[in-house]
Amino acid sequence: MLRRPLALLVIVCLGHVLLISTQVQSKSGLPVLEAVTFGTMARVQAAVAGVADAVRSTWSQYFALRGVERENQALRQRVLELEGQLQAEQARSAGTRALQEALQMQQEAPVKMLAARVIAGDPAPGSLTVTIDRGSRDGIEPNMAVLAGAGVVGRVIGRPAAHAAKVQLLIARDAGAGAVLEKTGQGGFLAGGFGDGLFRLELVSNLTTVTAGEKVLSSGQDKLYPRGYLLGSVERVDGEGRTRVIFVRPAVDFSHIEIVNVILALPADPDAGALPPGKPLPPRGKGGA
Amino acid sequence: MRLLPVLGAVFVAVVLQATLARYMVGGRWVFDLVLVGVVYAALQQGAVAGMLAGTIGGLLQDSLSGGILGVGGLSKTLTGFATGAVGTRFVVSKPYARAIIVAVASVVNRGMTIGLDAMIHQEWPAVPWVALAGETAANTVFGFLLFAATLAVPGMAARGRFKRRSSWGRRQW
Repeated sequence: MLRRPLALLVIVCLGHVLLISTQVQSKSGLPVLEAVTFGTMARVQAAVAGVADAVRSTWSQYFALRGVERENQALRQRVLELEGQLQAEQARSAGTRALQEALQMQQEAPVKMLAARVIAGDPAPGSLTVTIDRGSRDGIEPNMAVLAGAGVVGRVIGRPAAHAAKVQLLIARDAGAGAVLEKTGQGGFLAGGFGDGLFRLELVSNLTTVTAGEKVLSSGQDKLYPRGYLLGSVERVDGEGRTRVIFVRPAVDFSHIEIVNVILALPADPDAGALPPGKPLPPRGKGGA
Repeated sequence: MRLLPVLGAVFVAVVLQATLARYMVGGRWVFDLVLVGVVYAALQQGAVAGMLAGTIGGLLQDSLSGGILGVGGLSKTLTGFATGAVGTRFVVSKPYARAIIVAVASVVNRGMTIGLDAMIHQEWPAVPWVALAGETAANTVFGFLLFAATLAVPGMAARGRFKRRSSWGRRQW
């Protein structure tokens, strides 16, 4: 009774094996099939994500309003504090600008960014990519850097569809970034892909003193991420000398990314979109911690 | 075998997986709703349906995740077929028994995926035991809820119809 289904199973499995072996040999995959599937599913995901967001916002805006008054007062107070800080920063900025003009330094051109919404996670369990609702028609290209409010999220991988693109998160197994310690200026390589959700800062000189809480910024040396954006902060340092391991907590909370910004400049020039030294990432969008 | 429900189950599972994965990125909880959908199709409609659901669901998952196309497809095809064959040979009707099948299928599917990856990359990877246990537990819970709902919903609907009919009868009487 099972003979015909078994024959069918053998044929299907052979088809799969052939499919796998084609890709393993050529390392190129099936771009057309992938593009069609990805493009179509991105449309469906955008619609489903829209419905899910609508339900969530209805819940949070109408049904889960307990404690909003208290939160509102605290936020007003925080706004007042921040306005004060902003004025102080503006005064300092005016001074810096005057100094730059005095020294005839070139002003940095403002980097062009594009806001995008995260519409889907990776359907393969445990994979660390997300799909955004901007694609090739919006000017998205592979390897463009993606940022959230708190820091660097990752980069665009693969060929973007017309209205969607895949973003590899910085905590993924094969992801990493050129990094620099804020206080000492010592360079290193920030590697992702560890099960504990922390980065490891590698290739830092043993002579450099690294303290917990120190900020880690992108160095731009990887030619992927522009210089000066926040990657994370040192969580702890285990061991000494050659066995020293530097653990870095990501600046972005990767489990709650909703809105991201894509830097619309290809990473050939490490200074494209770079922040001036000492200036942390300005808050943008809703994503991140 | 009815094709439409199988395709529907797989499509819904893929969309749900991608939608829920969006909120779980980088988190500790890993689950595979597509596998739950494949097991559902296999137990409801047999080995061929399970194989078909596994093929379509696995290939969709592979193509969306950018990995090697066919790895998930092959493992889910075999898992779906084996689940369907078990389901037709043994009477497995209780939700908890079916949830156990989901658990076993999760382990088998993940084992095959790891094995295929090892063969392709010619390097044996470190087996993520904690993630594997978490995924199996999450899939089992989702499977139990799905099968319990599948059993409960037709009964509730029939009881509702019977109630309406009997109240109509009393009014006539």
